[in-house]
Amino acid sequence: MDTVIRTSGLTKHYGRVHALDGLDLSVTAGQVHGFLGPNGAGKTTTIRILLGLARKTAGVAEVLGRDPWKDATDLHRRIAYVPGDVSVWPNLSGGEAIDLLSRLRGASTKSSEYRSSRERLEAAFQFDPRKKGRAYSKGNRQKVALISAFAVPADLYILDEPTSGLDPLMEVVFRQEIARVKDAGATVLLSSHILSEVELLCDRVSIIRAGRIAESGTLPELRHLTRTEVSFEAADAGAVAGIAEAHDATFGEGRARFTVDSDAMASVLPVLAQRQVTGLRIEPPSLEELFLRHYGDESAS
Amino acid sequence: MIPLLRQRLRRDWLQLSLWIIGAVLLAYAGYVGVTQSYSTVADRQEVLAAVAANPVILMFRGLPSGTSVGAFLAFEDLPWLAMLAALMSTFLAVRHTRGDEESGRSELVAATPASRTLPLLATIVHGLAANVVLGLLVAASVIGAGMDAAGSLLLGAAAAATGVAFLGIGLVAAQLMRTSRGANALTVWLLVATFVIRGMGNLAGTPSDDLSRIDSAWPVWLSPFGWAEQIRPFDENSPWPLVLGLAFGVVLAIAAVGLQSARDLGASFVAERGGRASASAALASPHALVWRLAWGSLLGWVIGGVLTGFLATTLGGIAGQVAGQNPAVAQILEKIARAGDLDEAMITVFFTMLGVLAACAGVQTIVRARQEEAHGTAESVLSAAVGRVRWLADYAIVATIGVALVVAAAMVAAYAGLAAGGAPSDLFRVVTVTGLGQFVAASVFTALTALVFVLAPRATLGAGWALVGVAAVLGMFGPLMGMPEWLTDLSPIAVTPVVSHGDVDLRGLWWLVVAVVVAGAGALALMRRRELASDG
Repeated sequence: MDTVIRTSGLTKHYGRVHALDGLDLSVTAGQVHGFLGPNGAGKTTTIRILLGLARKTAGVAEVLGRDPWKDATDLHRRIAYVPGDVSVWPNLSGGEAIDLLSRLRGASTKSSEYRSSRERLEAAFQFDPRKKGRAYSKGNRQKVALISAFAVPADLYILDEPTSGLDPLMEVVFRQEIARVKDAGATVLLSSHILSEVELLCDRVSIIRAGRIAESGTLPELRHLTRTEVSFEAADAGAVAGIAEAHDATFGEGRARFTVDSDAMASVLPVLAQRQVTGLRIEPPSLEELFLRHYGDESAS
Repeated sequence: MIPLLRQRLRRDWLQLSLWIIGAVLLAYAGYVGVTQSYSTVADRQEVLAAVAANPVILMFRGLPSGTSVGAFLAFEDLPWLAMLAALMSTFLAVRHTRGDEESGRSELVAATPASRTLPLLATIVHGLAANVVLGLLVAASVIGAGMDAAGSLLLGAAAAATGVAFLGIGLVAAQLMRTSRGANALTVWLLVATFVIRGMGNLAGTPSDDLSRIDSAWPVWLSPFGWAEQIRPFDENSPWPLVLGLAFGVVLAIAAVGLQSARDLGASFVAERGGRASASAALASPHALVWRLAWGSLLGWVIGGVLTGFLATTLGGIAGQVAGQNPAVAQILEKIARAGDLDEAMITVFFTMLGVLAACAGVQTIVRARQEEAHGTAESVLSAAVGRVRWLADYAIVATIGVALVVAAAMVAAYAGLAAGGAPSDLFRVVTVTGLGQFVAASVFTALTALVFVLAPRATLGAGWALVGVAAVLGMFGPLMGMPEWLTDLSPIAVTPVVSHGDVDLRGLWWLVVAVVVAGAGALALMRRRELASDG
């Protein structure tokens, strides 16, 4: 019951390409789980396997305690999915597509519950359901998938970069919806590379790299692994000298800067106090830095 | 303008070459056909007289203008040459204007210092050039075959002028409609309508005493195809109707430039209709979705089925007349049909074509499953509570029903044609047997395409249509080209049951049934293990 998504040693090979190379992912019930990684790291492949759209090469994958490949149809009644790149039928209107997708998930579109939630979502997302699919922009296609996902209650929401193409106002609506389904007890797997979004929404984060989970934990846990940046006003670069824990010391624009392992911060503070530094600024690592730490060498190469 | 044209040449050369080579081959094959099948004046006179006597054929042939080889060639070929030029031109016009606008390419060009109307002007130049090349090469192929230069040049020019007229129609349609799909639909409807108007004008015309020529009635002047025919190449060689086609095209092109200058990029004069705000109660299953996606094109094939069925039983009489007097024609019909008397042979021959149409309907529906998969909409359906096997089965079911509808429509039309003509009752049985046989043959293509879709998804489109194309060539033209029987018998449409002198010969029926069952069941069974194969 507690673990909604569990993969262990999950591999997926496309010919000689190893899209997933021993992925261990665990998402517990009621969590909003961030699934972070750059393009091509294996996020979408993982999601496809969890949905039974692709078959694993080896390893274990379980969704809601069942095999996603064999029990796909039954599982899908309990799952809402928003693909990363939403396509709609060119000659169906947006409203028709939303109703169709909801019905295919087993919802009754006649129920007042469904109709009121669809109406609420269309108003919130400012969506015009009468246009034909071919006339929709990327953002509007995304809304078709989001509205049909949120209009029917689900136990698990799998969202693959759901806000790409949405404007900031719509992102706020999206965050409200995530909060709503979380309050209702649902679990969310949110794949994204928008770090601020993940920082705002997610209880736990898994960072995927080259088909493996590189890091997994709550945000405070992950922050712990990285360095905090410290800066203060100084006359020259010598101001940092003698602080044993300082790394990467630099000087510029009248400020000395260095980084400190987050767990060593406490021992640095007395030294700074002793030196009576002014304009002290201490910045905990952002998710962005976490991300760069894991992918920095990759983007450099 | 020059860089733009150069880029278009690179993008278009293959497609335009195919259209133009098609027209050249049609002209040359037409010449060979006329000189071989109807080598004497008397042969040609008979056909023209028969056509005047049973004018249904006039809809699909040109304007009779005498019995010379050249005039007969124009009678046989000119409408289709003009049709090729017209289709080439209107697709070209829409592709480079509205098509580019939809895909966002023209936004890139419009953002450069080039003027907003430049892509449109480049399209006009491009379209005119394509038609000039088409006209000249058609003329050259006929001159090369030994016809006189003046008539040949006018034959090519007649086709090219029709192309120019439709270039204009395509350009204006692209301005009016919001999507290239809408613009293409509008121009194809106009093309069919003007083609039919021309046929009606010829039908309503006055035949000469020896029935070898017809003076058309006034409606032909409403149609670019009619203008082309009034040139009467190799007969009157009257060049002035060319002016009508060219002027019409140029006036419309200028109108298109005016319309383009008066609107925003991406806007249109005919607003797109809004859709329903919510889905009808019927659109509630994957099966309903397939119908919704496929019914439009299936309807087209059904109309084709009706026409084929009707002609199968109504043309029997006239073909009988021609064949009775022309052993070559009789021989051809018997070769394709393998046996039987002429009426039976006629039905068999037309129903072989029906088999091709029905196969197209089936293959197109299965190909649609692949398009849904590549386009990404299949992912949305399959991630809802829809099983893989069920999803493919729905396409197979709709494809099979579509094939059945095409065949049924043809059979009903054929019965109606028999009943109207007071034909003997045994011909009804011929229609039933050959119709049901072609249903099975067409289903072979559906099942094989489904199997390819499961095993090699990316090959679905090419393999499906190639199967139909090869089978059509082997089955319909193989016997004429003297191919050995074992080769033509590889084509499912060529081994269906026939009725010969009242006896039913099942021929390859059981092989066909086995192929349908094995391929169909194999496809569904293998689908259980198949992953989604997105990205085209």
